[in-house]
Amino acid sequence: MKHDPIAIKEKVKSYIHQAAYVENDKIKDDSLVFKEGYFDSMAFMVLITYIEEEFGIKTNDADLTEENFESINAITDFICRKTQN
Amino acid sequence: MNSKKPFSKDIILLNNLEEVVDKIIRKLQNDVLINIKRLGAVVGTSGGIDSSVCLALAVKAFGPEKVLGIIMPEKDSSQESEILARELASTFGVKNIIKEDLTQVLSGFKCYERRDEAVKRVFPEYDPSTYKMKIGIKQRGLSNNLPPVFYLTIIDKNGNQKDQMLPVKEYLTIVAASNIKQRSRMSMLYYHAEALHYAVIGTPNKHEQEQGFFVKYGDGGADVMPIGNLYKSQVYQLAGYLGVPKAIIERTPTTDTYSAEQTQEEFFFQLPYGLMDRYWYGYENGYSVDEVAEVMGESKEQVSALFANFERKKKTTEYLRMAPVRDYYGQ
Repeated sequence: MKHDPIAIKEKVKSYIHQAAYVENDKIKDDSLVFKEGYFDSMAFMVLITYIEEEFGIKTNDADLTEENFESINAITDFICRKTQN
Repeated sequence: MNSKKPFSKDIILLNNLEEVVDKIIRKLQNDVLINIKRLGAVVGTSGGIDSSVCLALAVKAFGPEKVLGIIMPEKDSSQESEILARELASTFGVKNIIKEDLTQVLSGFKCYERRDEAVKRVFPEYDPSTYKMKIGIKQRGLSNNLPPVFYLTIIDKNGNQKDQMLPVKEYLTIVAASNIKQRSRMSMLYYHAEALHYAVIGTPNKHEQEQGFFVKYGDGGADVMPIGNLYKSQVYQLAGYLGVPKAIIERTPTTDTYSAEQTQEEFFFQLPYGLMDRYWYGYENGYSVDEVAEVMGESKEQVSALFANFERKKKTTEYLRMAPVRDYYGQ
């Protein structure tokens, strides 16, 4: 379960939709959640805390890049990589 | 037909300072003495550039005898602030300058205790009697499409520094506790203003207002804001013109909130004010990314990301500027 990318993506997707107060499936897997204005600075901090607590990973300075956080796909890949380490 | 001036690095500079000051003073007199019918002005003086220019403008508008300057230090304040505030008052002939130490007030609110408990959850070794602390943004650049996250820094008495990204709960607690400072200052300003039937002069500048770098009902709580529509570069121009002491003009703007020294750029703006002013002007006046990028010698991608960042900041801080919503039932 912990390493299942599909399950991780579902959790991330559900979290992002809830946190952005939008209907399910409104945000596409490759939508740019920050660039398109769904998430602000506070939501980013809450997202980092959610990921750390839900998936038991620790993020560091070097992790905070657009490649890791720009979309549901990017966040899922990031969590998968981190949980595999 | 578009009559907009071509974008240039000097576009924000004020050309006729005498005229600008005269306009501000006349409006201040009209707003305070006629519209809200107050007899003078109270200014919280921190020894910083913004409050100094506000005090100077208030003196020009109402005369030094109708201006009360209030210095409000607390245990985390720099001692330099009081020295500079007194120098400022003396420069402009303000004899009514008083000091209200807010340390006891803030202790009563458990401002320090609440903040320090949150800091200790991140750094268990933190001891407020031997460490200094601050929160800030790591410089990742405004052109990054991710919003900034905040870091906590503690510094021991030997100058050894430790930083850590702040978990959201601790970040919110530290900010909420620290905001008690600005709200206590506002309460003290209004106490004196009401006791004298004066107006409270708010000191935020244009960037602080529009980008949301103020505390709602704290330093954002005032009757009039004479520099609220001026860029920081313009505030410096006015400071020079009005004769604000050199030591104040040359001082790096700080937040005056945390025990460790912290610049405004480090905490919030992420760009030196001279650059911020020009990019913000370009953004809010609808100049194209191409034109601004060419003048500023920056790539189009960077300027485009900067403008997107400004847009996001303006939108996400709208809550700070809005009045309480009350139109729940129309009649």
